[in-house]
Amino acid sequence: MTGIIFDIKEMSLHDGPGTRVTVFFKGCPLRCVWCHNPEGLKKETELMVKVAQCEHCGRCMKPCAHLECMPFERCLLACPKGLVGVAGKLVETKTLSQQLRKYKDFLNMNGGGITLSGGEPLMQPEFAVELLQNLRGFHRAIQTSGYAESEVFKKVIENLDYVMMDIKLADPVLHKKYTGVDNVKILKNYQILKSSGIPYVIRIPLIPGITDTSENLKAISKIAQDSPIELLRYNTFAGAKYPMVNKKYTVKETKNNEVDITIFQNGKML
Amino acid sequence: MSKQLLRYILEKEHHSFRKEITENWAAEYCTKGLSPEQRMADRFERLTNMETPHILPDENIVFMRTIKNIPDIFTPEEWEQIKEKRFIHELGYMSNLSPNYEDTIAMGLLEKRKTADEYGRHAIDNIIALADRYKEEAEKQGRQDVANVLERVPRYSARNFREALQFFRILHYSLWLEGNYHNTVGRFDQYMYPYYKEDIEKGVYTKESALELLEDFFLSFNKDSDLYVGVQQGDNGQSMVLGGCNEDGAEVFNELSELCLIASRNLKLIDPKINLRVSKNTPIQVFELGSELTKAGLGFPQYSNDDVVIDGLVKLGYDRMDARNYVVAACWEFIIPKCGGDVANIGALSFPKIVDTVLHRSLTEVQSFEDFMEKVKQEINAECDRITGKIKDLWFVPSPFLSILMNEIKYNNFGIHGTGISTAADSLAAIKQYVYDEKTVSPAELTEAVDSDFAEHSELLPLLRYHALKMGAGGDIADDISVQLLDWFADSLMGRKNCRGGIYRPGTGSAMYYLWHADEIGASPDGRRKGEPFGANFSPSLFAKVNGPVSVIQSFTKQHFERVINGGPLTLEFHSSMFSDEDSVKKVALFVKTYIRMGGHQLQLNAVNAETLKDAQKRPENYPQLVVRIWGWSAYFVELDKEYQDHVLARQEYSL
Repeated sequence: MTGIIFDIKEMSLHDGPGTRVTVFFKGCPLRCVWCHNPEGLKKETELMVKVAQCEHCGRCMKPCAHLECMPFERCLLACPKGLVGVAGKLVETKTLSQQLRKYKDFLNMNGGGITLSGGEPLMQPEFAVELLQNLRGFHRAIQTSGYAESEVFKKVIENLDYVMMDIKLADPVLHKKYTGVDNVKILKNYQILKSSGIPYVIRIPLIPGITDTSENLKAISKIAQDSPIELLRYNTFAGAKYPMVNKKYTVKETKNNEVDITIFQNGKML
Repeated sequence: MSKQLLRYILEKEHHSFRKEITENWAAEYCTKGLSPEQRMADRFERLTNMETPHILPDENIVFMRTIKNIPDIFTPEEWEQIKEKRFIHELGYMSNLSPNYEDTIAMGLLEKRKTADEYGRHAIDNIIALADRYKEEAEKQGRQDVANVLERVPRYSARNFREALQFFRILHYSLWLEGNYHNTVGRFDQYMYPYYKEDIEKGVYTKESALELLEDFFLSFNKDSDLYVGVQQGDNGQSMVLGGCNEDGAEVFNELSELCLIASRNLKLIDPKINLRVSKNTPIQVFELGSELTKAGLGFPQYSNDDVVIDGLVKLGYDRMDARNYVVAACWEFIIPKCGGDVANIGALSFPKIVDTVLHRSLTEVQSFEDFMEKVKQEINAECDRITGKIKDLWFVPSPFLSILMNEIKYNNFGIHGTGISTAADSLAAIKQYVYDEKTVSPAELTEAVDSDFAEHSELLPLLRYHALKMGAGGDIADDISVQLLDWFADSLMGRKNCRGGIYRPGTGSAMYYLWHADEIGASPDGRRKGEPFGANFSPSLFAKVNGPVSVIQSFTKQHFERVINGGPLTLEFHSSMFSDEDSVKKVALFVKTYIRMGGHQLQLNAVNAETLKDAQKRPENYPQLVVRIWGWSAYFVELDKEYQDHVLARQEYSL
């Protein structure tokens, strides 16, 4: 079976236990205004151009006969600076797991494993499950928004050794405002995760003025209770990739509010 | 360390004591008809006499250069005459050796004097006289502690850690003053450990106070280092080697090794240059200490793998006991301390030039890739003939004092660098794929594209540059070709005798040839434009879209390093954010250990931040202490020529 991914990152230090190789699934049901992987949102492949360095020589605009270029009305092979690319690649689970198996020795020596991230891996559940089953023998983790039907959520996490799930905003109205969806499904899946017996951590991305407010963090701490929590500081380069996929980044604030980590029973700042 | 002393040195206040020699000593020596030995002895005497003792505020380890320049002993005309008859390496003076500090510190110079020749005795007397003048100055300044140390050393053996450090400083200073260069430090943590241990056991120092003294000592390497200019400022060869195994093969990383890593991290200065010997059996804690230092952004430590290096040296004919004592020369060339007289950087073979030659000579005629590679093999042989054929009758200016510090020389081998390996392997992989396998590019088209720097067939540039197989990008074909190239390089040098009765050692280093050799050819079939440099040492091409650090170490650990063990590291740049927390530093340590377990020979791991470097190019005044790694040494970024700065910026940087 095939799925669509947009990147494989070879050495992630913050995507689970040990050193991880992270597979980024393309497509996400959320539209978080702070998303730092805008090329992971659409389910379809899309043109990605490093416009900042473009000298507008026009070579990529000239018609070409390459099959792989047809959907984009651009030549992907013409840029003398290598700036024109495509985000998204259809892959067979078999091919992908073979590719990932090359990292087996490395990951074993580093106490790490494979992490599925995105986009949202739960948006391609059959692909995710088949891939995870092919990857038995690896330590397998996921980074997820938790936004999926509960049946789907259960089916995927059964195949995992570790789950990193976001709770971004406690208030369903604010959740809808900033991510495009409310958090009912997410909070329901959180309960499923908690009672699943699978090791997990809840992650809160700290977005200035949106998720890092004391009201939100207090509310999340009540939901989380003794669950392990990781708070992720805001990355000032979060908006870097927006121009490449012809989008605008709208978060203006760049500095996090002071966060009182002690309100969490089991919190850790990353 | 003393903050006051550090500031004093950083702000170069001690430079005000310096004077310049303007007289032409060489002409005088020439007129008098003095022998080289006489000239060296006379120059050393004059210099030691002219030196003015200065003791800086809070300084515990004294001796500082006050003479800026060391006049040559030969006139340019004399040099020309010498070069007509003899092969002269670099400047002609001795360099890149690892002297026997250990025995001298344990014996004292007076004891050494007994077995020295006339010139050696003379040099020793000069050093002792200068030390006496330092002692007087110390007394005058009320620094009885300094005077007491100089009362003992360098005349007699050191009795404690401080005397040993001061003794080392005097020896090292004297080597530079004699006109030798790239004077390495060797296995400092081993030969100094007995002094350290005894003082700790006696309660003279705690670990903390010993660290303070060690930091003062480390500072002493930075007092005069601006006078030791190599190809660039910072290229001075003050390399220190820590850890590794002893002659019996047992791991000997000790508390002093640890303190050296910490001292370097605390000082954040470019000297001494820290190298760490490790093996698959080295405890992870040692790698973690190493990663803590990497985090400081100095490009230290450079790692070498005992498992690979020692076996490689033994296969080249070194005694196992000697091989187990290996150190590095100025950058990363593996040499044997005390008894090694190797010239580890006597020549360099450019792999891309080989490919370029065969491309122009044979691409249009040769029918298969195998036949093309056969031509490459022949050309490697021919180039090795040319390189080794030129090195006849090697001669160095005799160095009476350095000779005293060396044991009987057992090894006289010559090292040849192998440069631009990824440029060559990627080029050959492209030729294989497009010209021979797929036949989508004709030999004529490829040649025209390369010759016109891709002005013609410009569509080939992005194809070759960004879409072709590369080392570090999961391109097994390119990796396999690199293995083949290095094997042929080794085959070709094997069995050749050099003019001193030694052998030739092939290596994976480039030194400054990543710029120099790149200028010798035009564009290359891997999509490298004319004028663009190669990767430094043993590294991916600068523009290769590599998959990440894991693919890179997979590509760069396949080669048969025991056959090409002259030295030359894989260089990786990690973004400084990868060292953000303790947990990440530990993960980086495990990554390094994995590289070692995979059989890598040498690793240069740097923590960099391209944004900071770019800003430093624009506003150099804000970054006087910003350090970067060049090809085998660390330097202050703002003191480098732009082409070296740009190369650092062009390297692939891996982030979180």
